[in-house]
Amino acid sequence: MAYATTAGHGEHDEHHPTGWRRWIYSTNHKDIGTMYIILSLVAALIGGVMSWMIRLELAEPGIQFFDNTQFYNVLVTAHGFLMVFFVVMPAMIGGFGNWFVPLMIGAPDMAFPRMNNISFWLTAAGLTLLVSSAFVGEGPGTGWTVYPPLSSIAYHPGAAVDFGILALHLAGAGSILGAINLIVTIFNMRAPGMTFHRMPLFVWAIMVTAFLLLLALPVLAGALTMLLTDRNFGTSFYVVAGGGDPLLWQHLFWFFGHPEVYIIILPAFGIISQIISTFSKKPVFGYLGMAYAMCAIGFVGFIVWAHHMYTSGIGTNARAYFTVATMIIAVPTGIKIFSWLATMWGGSIELKAPMLFALGFLWLFVIGGVTGVVLANASIDFVMHDTYYVVAHFHYVMAIAAIFAMFGAYYYWIGKMSGRQYSERLAQIQFWVFFIGVNVLFFPQHFLGLNGMPRRIPDYPDAFAGWNMVSSVGAAITMAGTLMFYYIIWHTFRYGKVAEANPWGEGATTLEWTVPSPAPFHTHEELPVIGASDHGHGPVHGGLKPAE
Amino acid sequence: MSDKVGSDKAGRVKAGRTKNRLGAAALFAVVGGMVGLSFASVPLYRAFCQATGYGGTPRTENVVAPTAVADRRVIVQFDANVNPDLPWRFKPAQRQVDIRLGEETLIHYTAVNLSDRPLTGTATFNIAPDAAAQYFSKIQCFCFTEQTLAPRQEVSMPVLFYVDPAIADDVDARDITKITLSYTFYRTDGDDKNSAKSAGVAARNARGGNG
Repeated sequence: MAYATTAGHGEHDEHHPTGWRRWIYSTNHKDIGTMYIILSLVAALIGGVMSWMIRLELAEPGIQFFDNTQFYNVLVTAHGFLMVFFVVMPAMIGGFGNWFVPLMIGAPDMAFPRMNNISFWLTAAGLTLLVSSAFVGEGPGTGWTVYPPLSSIAYHPGAAVDFGILALHLAGAGSILGAINLIVTIFNMRAPGMTFHRMPLFVWAIMVTAFLLLLALPVLAGALTMLLTDRNFGTSFYVVAGGGDPLLWQHLFWFFGHPEVYIIILPAFGIISQIISTFSKKPVFGYLGMAYAMCAIGFVGFIVWAHHMYTSGIGTNARAYFTVATMIIAVPTGIKIFSWLATMWGGSIELKAPMLFALGFLWLFVIGGVTGVVLANASIDFVMHDTYYVVAHFHYVMAIAAIFAMFGAYYYWIGKMSGRQYSERLAQIQFWVFFIGVNVLFFPQHFLGLNGMPRRIPDYPDAFAGWNMVSSVGAAITMAGTLMFYYIIWHTFRYGKVAEANPWGEGATTLEWTVPSPAPFHTHEELPVIGASDHGHGPVHGGLKPAE
Repeated sequence: MSDKVGSDKAGRVKAGRTKNRLGAAALFAVVGGMVGLSFASVPLYRAFCQATGYGGTPRTENVVAPTAVADRRVIVQFDANVNPDLPWRFKPAQRQVDIRLGEETLIHYTAVNLSDRPLTGTATFNIAPDAAAQYFSKIQCFCFTEQTLAPRQEVSMPVLFYVDPAIADDVDARDITKITLSYTFYRTDGDDKNSAKSAGVAARNARGGNG
């Protein structure tokens, strides 16, 4: 089961490149993870500024700033792409996944260190292409769903959409390679005794996510290629005049797009499980149920895609099926929510910043989940479709919930990654500012949506003015909380206290806490041996030590 | 196992690498398979629609003459549309017909080329409501064949069809009393399959390459 096979590292213990070569040529999972996190921090700032521009425009009725409304469309599109493909995915999978999967399973590095490097640089190239697409011609104003005919050459004649397509191709290829790397690492490189049923839930989450990436992203790549040839080489996959069908795009896009939202939230599930267990000083309640609930969510995620297409003219029977299948997702997610609550129940809870963010995650995820059950009903969705109710729903359940998991993960692991501990007081203030900000920002959007305010429009009737202003004030508070996070990063590196190997005490039982802080360039070169009582997720014990 | 780690490290590393590469090869095959499936979905979706009438696809393949005529009647309405890039006038010769189920019916559309040059068009077609589509059998039609009209030429385009009496037994379709057959003509001149696209390319070129 366990092989310490890392090309370039296992054999060259002294190998430790410095300067720019350490980063550009990096084959080290920790350095590549760090680069992913930095990329995500940069993209988050760009995507965040775009969302604040959107809220600035929407603060009052009428057109304030965007006389060129296509530019507003471009902002909406780029905000979605950036946040999904270049903030959440790089940070969760490329960043924390790279850093902590090998550490948690007792592997010295990823299975394919050089492929790991190309994964990152493909993602970085994709980010560059995507940002530059906004400056090409009129920019891509298609929304992140890129529906034809709006995205066809007739309505987006410039090269901007082609730039966007290629950006997603590159980022997708990077993610596929990363997924293959993670799966092979988790399957082949676990330390002796680290069976599948002893793996920490974060590793389980990343594994399920990697399989979703592997199955979903190639479909997006195929659909995008068809769009590219439709636009440039005269094919008619989506062109009705040539015998094609725009509905084909919607089916292919959402066959990718729905698993994509689980790709975003499953790593968050893993992170939240680690944090809640650590700060409740208890093993996760119902470990196996938690692990297989994620598998179930991953599976069901592939057979519910058309609930995004209720109003696209799919048949009544299809709507009935997709309504039922969608509601079934509430069962495994319910298992997870109640298991987290049961983990905390009777625990010795410490409300450190990571735990606050985990609790915030639960709050956001449950609210977003409840509105999701509402939207799952095809007949109700006919009223809600493309309104701000949907915007509020997916920002709660997926976007902001994922961001909370990322903040939690950052505070949880920054000591291990940097060797310096964050300021608890600043982090707690940041939590409350951010938590209040996002709720003031997104909760009123439910009311706006219920009253019929459409998405993706820069203007609205005066009747919607009140809650829009509240929402924009919330955006300002959120902005303060976000900028404070960047300040805390700087503060941690400048003034942070030196972190211990395990700053969290008895609750932190996974293998990453057995190596020093900051984690050395090479770890687990001597494979740790995990005994039957040493569940990585498992009960509090003192027996988890690296093998001599 | 940890004692052995030092002793036969090279062999272990080699075995591990082979295993890793096999794993990666299998996963790459999965990726290739999914890309293949996404393209295969095009003919699969088409076959599915033709077999089930999904998405309002009427039956045009292997249609045989009706075997029985029922007493129940149904109204069939006709709709005609032309893409603005095609300067044709295109309309049904009759708004609607009131027919019995299983009754073979011949109707006509007429098309006129309003321009001074020959133009070629292709029509897409659809049935509404969707549930009736699989019972709408076209024996003969101008379904998706290219039609070229000389300048000012007027032609009559016949459609021979019947509505399958089996519609009366389908719980989802038996309440349908009106069926609409709709055609839309697009221009298919030259090697440019799609006029909307050529207009877009022209617009792009006019703006100097990148819009």
